[in-house]
Amino acid sequence: MDLSILADPGILVELLLQALVRGSMYALMGAGLSLIFGIIGIVNFAHGELYMIGAYLMYLVSVALGLPFVVGLGAAAAGLFLVGVLIERGLIEPLRQRAGREWLLDSFVLTIGLMVILQNLALVTMGSERQGLASMLPGSLSWGDVSISYDRVIILGASLLVVAGLWAFIRFTDTGKAISATAQDPEAAQTLGIDVRRIHTLAFGLGAALAGLAGALLLPILPAYPTVGMQPVLKSFAVVILGGLGNIAGAVAGGVLLGIVEAFAEFFLSAGWQSVLTPLLIVLVLLVRPSGLFSAAGGRP
Amino acid sequence: MTLEIKALTAGYNREMSILEDVDLTARHGLVTVILGPNGAGKSTLLKTIYGYLQPRRGEIRHDGQSIVGLQPKDMLRQGIAYLLQGRSTFPAMTVQENLELGLWSLRSDRQRRANALDEVYRRFPRLQERRSAPAGLLSGGEQRMLEIARLTMTRPKTLLLDEPSVGLMPRLVDAVYDEIRRLKQEKFTILIVDQNIRKSIEIADYVYVLRLGRNSHHGPQSEFAARLSDIVKEWL
Repeated sequence: MDLSILADPGILVELLLQALVRGSMYALMGAGLSLIFGIIGIVNFAHGELYMIGAYLMYLVSVALGLPFVVGLGAAAAGLFLVGVLIERGLIEPLRQRAGREWLLDSFVLTIGLMVILQNLALVTMGSERQGLASMLPGSLSWGDVSISYDRVIILGASLLVVAGLWAFIRFTDTGKAISATAQDPEAAQTLGIDVRRIHTLAFGLGAALAGLAGALLLPILPAYPTVGMQPVLKSFAVVILGGLGNIAGAVAGGVLLGIVEAFAEFFLSAGWQSVLTPLLIVLVLLVRPSGLFSAAGGRP
Repeated sequence: MTLEIKALTAGYNREMSILEDVDLTARHGLVTVILGPNGAGKSTLLKTIYGYLQPRRGEIRHDGQSIVGLQPKDMLRQGIAYLLQGRSTFPAMTVQENLELGLWSLRSDRQRRANALDEVYRRFPRLQERRSAPAGLLSGGEQRMLEIARLTMTRPKTLLLDEPSVGLMPRLVDAVYDEIRRLKQEKFTILIVDQNIRKSIEIADYVYVLRLGRNSHHGPQSEFAARLSDIVKEWL
């Protein structure tokens, strides 16, 4: 491993950009997964399929219909919000009502089943071939030796904007505070008149919208196919474990961290090593800090 | 506002009832205390009144209107507030944010919200001093005060209190009962479930005893205080 190569600003910047682009995808996916877990208490195994639907929506709107990429991004985010609302209201909430207290396993079966159904639905309707987008916006931003494609600028900028927006929404608005109260103590939130069922629906919708947006943003890099969500969802589980389940800020930090680790591992240790290092990192974190790198010591995740 | 319960039967699953044919009336402006050994169904009774649990049979009327079938989120609008057993503050949020969440049901009325916040700070100056501290950093007594303050901000008529002094040190226990006395003077209808028999009898107007989910004894405080030792002996 020759680290002196990093003295070349072109290579270092390229590596960091790769890391951040991956990291922002992981952050969007992980934040959504964490939001859903923190509020509803379920692990959404179908989160990758929400990513997949987002990628296809982007493809349909910006390639098949030829509309501007911004419309595609908007369609993916709004469309997946709606899909999320329908899934929560139509499947998850009815199950929660019926299954009572011990519904964790039931919810696993539900979301894994949903994953299989959505993948096969995509296979039937969209086919198995990869459908991509050459570029959202051709061209690049140049600065001396360093150049950044507009696509990467858009991916990074949009991710940053959305994550910051989500944080501000939860931190400063009345509805956001009700979301965070529900995460901390749902029973107490109800005594204050907060409609916890609506908060559940909103949380699932927002989490799904983040996944859809990630799928749409990444389309120029990762073309759409029925099982495209498998890799992102596995990585976002890693991110969520790194950050602590239910901890949205932790998921974002974990996402960026994982992006950096993977990009550098690929470059210095050859491709393939990132698939070894990620699980290793998870095992280490689980051994040392089981509630996540960024959680308060000993606190409930 | 009088809270009337008739022939209430409820439980967590079909096979077993925790409450069987319970009758109870909490009269307007009075303190009604529910006593009973562990497992008598006292907390379950409050949970059923508040809609966390749907009764299998029976009536629950508040101010003459049936409230069966309503959800917990609807109860403040009916004028009923509920102090949960144990901690119910949001530890990661500041004191002020906790109080503002107590005004969630008034969120469209900015003026009333501001007035209610001013009033609560006048009444609990200590909470104003600590308004920007996370609730999780308050002492146990301060947290209880925050919960009690939050409870009455929307001007409910009826208060359900589940073990209001549990887990507090003796000096703070007195402070909590002083606060309940003050609420009684303000003509709230108060229904308390309590393990602290001596303290709760002192402030009670009327007492109910539950055993194994059924009515066991009831009577006005005066009549009851005399029979207290006999009844407690029966539990043992």
